[in-house]
Amino acid sequence: MKTTPRLDRKIQLAFGCAIVALLVVGAISYRGMLVSSESDQWVRHTHEVLEGLEDLRSARERTESSVRGFVLTGDESYLETYRVSRLKAEQFQAIVRDLTADNPAQQRQFPILEKLAAQKFQLAQLVIGLRRSQGLEAAVDAMRSGSGQRIMDDFQAVIRTMVAEEQRLLVLRDADAKRRLSQTKTGLILGTVLGLLIAATAGWSVQRDNSRRGLAEDALLESELKYRTLIQGVQDYAILMLGPKGEIRTWNPGAERMTGCTHVEIVGHNFSFFFSAEDVKRGRPSEILRLAAANGTYEEQGMRVRKNGSRFLIHSNYTASRDPEGNLRGFSVISRDLSESKEAGEKYQGLLEAAPDAMVVVNQDGEIVLLNLQAERQFGYHRDELIGQKVKNIIPEGFAERLIADGTRSAAEALAQQIGTGIELIGRRKDGSQFPVEIMLSPFESAEGILVTAAIRDISVRRTAETHLAQMEGRYRGLLEAAPDAMVVVNVAGEIVLLNVRAETEFGYSRDELVGQKVKNIIPQGFAERIIADGTRSAAEALAQQIGTGIELIGRRKDGSEFPIEIMLSPLESADGILVTAAIRDISVRKTAETHLAQMEGRYRGLLEAAPDAMVVVNVAGEIVLLNVRAETEFGYSRDELVGQKVKNIIPEGFAERLIADGTRSAAEALAQQIGTGIELIGRRKDGSEFPIEIMLSPLESRDGILVTAAIRDISVRRTAETHLAQMDGRYRGLLEAAPDAMVVVNVAGEIVLLNVRAETEFGYSRDELVGQKVKNIIPQGFAERIIADGTRSAAEALAQQIGTGIELIGRRKDGSDFPIELMLSPLDSADGILVTAAIRDVTTRKMSEAQLLHKVAELKRSNEELGQFAYIASHDLQEPLRMVASYTQLLSRRYKGKLDAEADEFIAFAVDGASRMQRLIQDLLALSRVGSKGKELLDTSSENALQQALVNLRGAIQEKGALVTHDPLPAVMADEMQLVQLFQNLVGNAIKYQNPGVPMVHVSVVPGDREKWIFSVKDNGLGIDPQYFERIFGMFQRLHKREEFAGTGIGLAICKKIVERHGGTISVESQPGQGATFRFALAASARTMKASGGQ
Amino acid sequence: MPSHVLLVEDSPGYVRLTEEAFREVDASIQLHVVSDGVEAMEFLRREGRHALAPRPDITLLDLNMPKMDGCEVLALIKQDERLRMIPAIILTTSESDADIMKSYHLHANCYLSRPLEFDDLRTLVKSLVDFWLTKAKLPQNNARLLQAAAYKRMSESERNLVRREGRT
Amino acid sequence: MKVLEGDDMPLQVLLVEDSPGDVRLTQEAFREANISIRLHVATDGAEAITFLKREGPHVHAPRPDLILLDLNLPKMDGREVLAQIKEDEDLKTIPTVILTTSEAEADIAKSYQLQANCYLCKPVQLDAFENLVKSINDFWLVKAKLPLQVSANAT
Repeated sequence: MKTTPRLDRKIQLAFGCAIVALLVVGAISYRGMLVSSESDQWVRHTHEVLEGLEDLRSARERTESSVRGFVLTGDESYLETYRVSRLKAEQFQAIVRDLTADNPAQQRQFPILEKLAAQKFQLAQLVIGLRRSQGLEAAVDAMRSGSGQRIMDDFQAVIRTMVAEEQRLLVLRDADAKRRLSQTKTGLILGTVLGLLIAATAGWSVQRDNSRRGLAEDALLESELKYRTLIQGVQDYAILMLGPKGEIRTWNPGAERMTGCTHVEIVGHNFSFFFSAEDVKRGRPSEILRLAAANGTYEEQGMRVRKNGSRFLIHSNYTASRDPEGNLRGFSVISRDLSESKEAGEKYQGLLEAAPDAMVVVNQDGEIVLLNLQAERQFGYHRDELIGQKVKNIIPEGFAERLIADGTRSAAEALAQQIGTGIELIGRRKDGSQFPVEIMLSPFESAEGILVTAAIRDISVRRTAETHLAQMEGRYRGLLEAAPDAMVVVNVAGEIVLLNVRAETEFGYSRDELVGQKVKNIIPQGFAERIIADGTRSAAEALAQQIGTGIELIGRRKDGSEFPIEIMLSPLESADGILVTAAIRDISVRKTAETHLAQMEGRYRGLLEAAPDAMVVVNVAGEIVLLNVRAETEFGYSRDELVGQKVKNIIPEGFAERLIADGTRSAAEALAQQIGTGIELIGRRKDGSEFPIEIMLSPLESRDGILVTAAIRDISVRRTAETHLAQMDGRYRGLLEAAPDAMVVVNVAGEIVLLNVRAETEFGYSRDELVGQKVKNIIPQGFAERIIADGTRSAAEALAQQIGTGIELIGRRKDGSDFPIELMLSPLDSADGILVTAAIRDVTTRKMSEAQLLHKVAELKRSNEELGQFAYIASHDLQEPLRMVASYTQLLSRRYKGKLDAEADEFIAFAVDGASRMQRLIQDLLALSRVGSKGKELLDTSSENALQQALVNLRGAIQEKGALVTHDPLPAVMADEMQLVQLFQNLVGNAIKYQNPGVPMVHVSVVPGDREKWIFSVKDNGLGIDPQYFERIFGMFQRLHKREEFAGTGIGLAICKKIVERHGGTISVESQPGQGATFRFALAASARTMKASGGQ
Repeated sequence: MPSHVLLVEDSPGYVRLTEEAFREVDASIQLHVVSDGVEAMEFLRREGRHALAPRPDITLLDLNMPKMDGCEVLALIKQDERLRMIPAIILTTSESDADIMKSYHLHANCYLSRPLEFDDLRTLVKSLVDFWLTKAKLPQNNARLLQAAAYKRMSESERNLVRREGRT
Repeated sequence: MKVLEGDDMPLQVLLVEDSPGDVRLTQEAFREANISIRLHVATDGAEAITFLKREGPHVHAPRPDLILLDLNLPKMDGREVLAQIKEDEDLKTIPTVILTTSEAEADIAKSYQLQANCYLCKPVQLDAFENLVKSINDFWLVKAKLPLQVSANAT
């Protein structure tokens, strides 16, 4: 695109401004970034400083603690830590110093820090030295002196100041950064807006220029295009320029098309090139030019010759062109090709050849102008022999005349007639033979006038058929119409040639719709094929087949519905070959009946097969008609072997006779007998073996007469059982009846086989009611299962289990009530397998007493628990008001001591004392109750450890009295550790307390006792106890001494007793007044020690 | 700065005893008393009639109270992100293991059982004050304090800067 | 005669502290204050957790009556340990007292947030330290009621 200088300048200016704007924006963004990163840096920096300070402080503290460590232990390794920490501290200090180099305030602190560090170091050296030379005490003293503390405090203070300073700076910098950032933001926005404005303005201006230019160019292009199109469009006309003598100067596409010569080939040649030789000889070309020049224009029509030699007719217009002086410059020629119709004619030729019928084109003179191959064949001529000949030669009469007649009519009128106007005429072949033809005419205009195209069809075949049809009609019409069935006549090609009115109704078609159609349309399958097959057989053979040969097929009606048909065929000779007449009968009804019957049979058969018993169906002749698979298995035959056989073969006697007997009775009478009539007979298997059976009969009407269905059941098992029972009876009855307990004999199937009279009374049944029943009926659970279990073990094994194996179950009486029983089982071999005899004992009373016992125990437990709880709650709730009384009386006594009179003081003192004592009593009670309620499981405990702990707890008292407590090695026992400690504490505490002045000595020893127990002894050299009090001292709140002599509530030993008893032992005392006392108690040994000591 | 202790206790008898004990141990300690759980929550949240209540340094909490018992109060306190910062110490008559376990389970800071005698109560309070109000570090409402401290130390111009720019 | 209380059995205290000097100091101070204490030491956070959960080498560890926890520990930070303890259904009832050098308000607040029972700052001075341990012993191991711990197998 060309641009004006003005436009160039504009563009340059725009770009320049845009770049500038961008640069400005870029600069502002950059600034913003810098600000942001700066701010980040400062934050980071501050954090680094704070971290550094923290590290420094931490390191200093480390040095402190390592010095202390060394002082306490004298361990040199602490000094290593000290050195390392000190080094670290110095490093951190240096780091922080660097970091804050720019801050004079912070820098000022460092000399102070250094001074403090130096002081600390000196002190540390001193302390370390002291520790090394003079030991722990001196060093600790030195450490404790005031300066160390002061130094650390100062140090902490400095650090804190520095931290605060950093934070202050941070706040400041943060604010500053924010301010600069907002400036940047503003700048950015402005810059961007400005840049956008410039870009918009420039763009708009350039755009405006461009569009104006564009418009102008477009207009020019358009006119050029129009002109070219015009010229190119002229393809139908040859437009050329000639020189004065006829030399071709210009050539257009139209001329090219017309002549076949290209521009390159022809320009320069004379236009006479296209004239025919004769015309050139005559001087036609120059004549035309002379005429054109003389008159200015000249129009003529004439033949030309194409490049390929073909001729064509053109219509030309010549125009002379002269220069301003009037000299002949040349000619312009516009020519039009008139031979289009000729081309069309060629196309037409092609069509003609392709036509299936004979085609002949005739002119108005009745001469054949054109014909096709079919026509040659039809009439037996060669093309040349026919072209130019009168059409009368091939169609003697009726055509030529029509032609003229047709010819006079206008094309329009003829066309109107054309549709469906087959004209029947006679055609004559070359050999003179004639044949019927049907012709269809169509005219068309050509350069030479109207031509008529005739399509000629040979209708000989049709004619024959028509004749034949007429013949047939006469012969068969009568027969056909009279036939009761639908009748259809079909030819060898499978086409329906004839049919009767019945066929029309059967299939729902009208005659015309079927004649000529394939018979497949009405009988899709099975017929057409047979036709051909049957067609080859001779009439005689077919007739032979005719009788009874109903072929079952499916017919299809016009509406598409299908129905079963039976066809009977008979052939028919005719002049035109064999035709087949088919009589078609609708057999829908019959078919339905047949289907139904098949269904019924199927259902019945199904029932038969499903029956659990063997089923055999026998006819009046005593033959087996039907049987099921069960019958096959029962008798050992296969189905085929039995069907048709006499039933006597499987049931020798008693059945067949009954049959006839039953057979004479009416169905009603037989049915009446049917119910419950199990007839016992003998059945015989294929292998000849016999077995007892029971049969039940029922009659069945069928179209072949009465059939009897027999249900046959094998009753061998039942028989065996019955026999067996009889056997058993004799053998065991005596034993059973004599037994004191209820006895029941059960088989492996869990059925009661035998029982005694005691069993009858126990369970409330009569014998008959139980024999054969499942034992589950009297012992619902636990027995039947065991039977099977026990049944598999051998008699020996079961016997072995028998001893002492009372199995507790529940028995159920006839009235439905349950009662507890105990079973003892013993197996019994018998011919029929293992039977189990069960001796059943009623244990109701025993169970009752057991239950009572449990009940009592539970009650006892509950009552105990309640008591324990009660004691606990009581003590706890008692404390509340007590607390008030005690506390306030105490307050009173302190506040008002000396403020009221002496008596008041005394009264208050008593009150306080009473309250305190009350509290102690309650505490003791609580402690006692806790022994039981808070007691833990007895576990493997070291009694030695327990004693040690007790001594630790007593250390105050031991020290005070200067007591000496010794003990033997003590074993592991099963105990509650805490309570064991308490036990030792109480006993040893007592031993120390109840003493004369002097050194109390206590010794704890142990000896093994019987039944895996250890017997502990706590022996002291104290005051001793008068034997008459041995019992009392273990009672609650029992004291043997006045309160002024020995403090205590008197519950200690009660607690000891409770603890020992809880551990399953007893506590006792051995003593004489003034000779000390020995307290003894036993504890269960732990399994471990028992094993270790060899189970002493 | 005086210490503030909140006592949540319904029995006037115990309240008086506690007041006496605190007075003997350290009279400068301000003991605030509420008599049920609901009022305790109001005090801690500074609602209603306790809108101007000071923030206690520790709370002493009885378990057996009407309306809302100590465990409920404890649970509420410990669920609240701000209130859980005030140590809650159970001070009750019960010594039962169940009560002790339950309280620690609810994150009670400590469990104390009221002694039977006043002297013992006094000793207990002494120990309590020594440990919790002297030795232990309690959380302060800190962020603003630091800021306030820093702000105080700035010069006038610095303050202006912060005021103007600090609004972002 | 003294009636036996539950806490006459030795108390188990777990000290989680990595600085050996401080460990020694604490041991000495407790020995002075209370003879009936068993002091167990874990030197990093992971070991503390293993001890409390009675895993690995600490299968037979007793359950502590009190935990003293430093915040700055190797392997697992003290705050992490505190969080784990107070989130564990079983361990949360053990009183956990933070005993650390940091006075930072953030640490104090965070610890109480995580339900630490108390926060103590380790004094630098020996005297003050001993005093603090005495205070801890007096308040927590004598006066306060601690939840009853089910002890592991005796012997």
